[in-house]
Amino acid sequence: MDADHGDRGGRVPLRDFGGPDRAGRAGTRRDSFRHVRRVSNWTGAALIVGTAAAAGALAHQAFPAAGTAAPAGGAGTSASRTGASAPGAGGPQVTHSVATTTASGVTVTTATRTINGTTVVTQVRHAPAYADNSYADN
Amino acid sequence: MATAAPGLTRVAPWQRVMTGDDVVAVAERDALGTTARVAVWPPENLAVACAAVDDVLGALDQQASRFRADSELSWLHGAGGGLFMLSDGLAEAVGVALAAARWTGGRTDPTVHDALISLGYDRDFAAIDSQRGEPPAASAPVPGWQRVRLHGPLLHLPAGVRIDLGATAKGVGSDRAVRAVMAVTGHAGGVLVSLGGDIAVGGTPPREGWPVTVAEEPGQAGSPRSQLVRLASGAVATSSVTCRRWRRGGTVLHHIVDPRTGRPADGPWRTVSAAAATCADANAATTAAIVAGPQAEDWLTTAGLPARLVGHDGEVRCLEGWPTAAGLPVPVPAGSHLYGGARPPGGTR
Repeated sequence: MDADHGDRGGRVPLRDFGGPDRAGRAGTRRDSFRHVRRVSNWTGAALIVGTAAAAGALAHQAFPAAGTAAPAGGAGTSASRTGASAPGAGGPQVTHSVATTTASGVTVTTATRTINGTTVVTQVRHAPAYADNSYADN
Repeated sequence: MATAAPGLTRVAPWQRVMTGDDVVAVAERDALGTTARVAVWPPENLAVACAAVDDVLGALDQQASRFRADSELSWLHGAGGGLFMLSDGLAEAVGVALAAARWTGGRTDPTVHDALISLGYDRDFAAIDSQRGEPPAASAPVPGWQRVRLHGPLLHLPAGVRIDLGATAKGVGSDRAVRAVMAVTGHAGGVLVSLGGDIAVGGTPPREGWPVTVAEEPGQAGSPRSQLVRLASGAVATSSVTCRRWRRGGTVLHHIVDPRTGRPADGPWRTVSAAAATCADANAATTAAIVAGPQAEDWLTTAGLPARLVGHDGEVRCLEGWPTAAGLPVPVPAGSHLYGGARPPGGTR
């Protein structure tokens, strides 16, 4: 295995994706600069052992869960974690569909290139169609 | 490879969407090769919500896109295998993909990357030549998710193994986006985020839940083949073989690969929708159900996930409390099978 190559070109910074209107948040993103890098087996082994030891120590010190283990992650509120809330209590009345769950449609590819000093925006738009339309009548 | 050169990808602008209810604000834009949609209440939260979603999607694309030459994932693939220290965001995304593979018994598998390439899905879908003449490569099992090891942020990727996070990445993105929006709005009101039809909600939902249309393809809302349901918490996702299809050597292919064969899944269900506590769970479950084929109903029932399956003949089957009539709430089970241990503490990226 190679030695650590932390300073090589393999670093992949999280660049600012925004346009001029996003400048206000660039600082926040710069703070979260991270990268992928190759590490040696020795470094990896040390980190794995250290992580396991830390996790074990934290688990040992942790308070016991009160009855149920709360799932990590999850997008919703505590309502989604218990699955027991009254749906929508307190929210507004919404009657029309706001979104569609569906197979992911293909919409557009947008790229901006600078050619001889001129900015060229290319948009390739494809309908969410399929080559054969074999499901068109189903 | 039709990859975007570094620094040349531009964020598409958000467009307001008028749904008929002015108590919520809805906007959408193109993102990640598909469409992102945000719905919030109170409506004045829309601008900050869209900005938060932009941050999440930009970071996810930078971390996990296999179509960007400058993504972290592409760099990993170019490094030829070894031990790598990942960013928190990519570590979470890979961890969720591996957890999904374990949970689904290998029906989703992030090592399908090369199988997708050999089938012709080797660039952003919009750039695929849908009529290429040469036939796809012979079927062969994928390397297998068990060969990929993740210890916290440390990834061991064997040489020759490349990963695709398509079965879970959109779900991860929707989950992160909802958390990010709730954070920037101070947990006031509620939010719904859809990435290519994989939907997560957070905060306080509208009365009786967010009205969501279930359809097989974009643009089908309002058709007799669609269904309106209510989502008060958690997430709902849909996978289908009716979209992202292309032809190669006279054979119609699609993007949901059976890891056992390396070929497009060929089961009795063309579309599966499912509800779960998180969008990554729902996303993985629907893909796994398509791959499971005749075992899909048993697997979804065992997993306890409400689901709606559509057969190739158009027959609709509802499981585990998925409503059979329009306008009813979808019951959402508690607990994620995928995020435990995979998510960095407090991490949203």
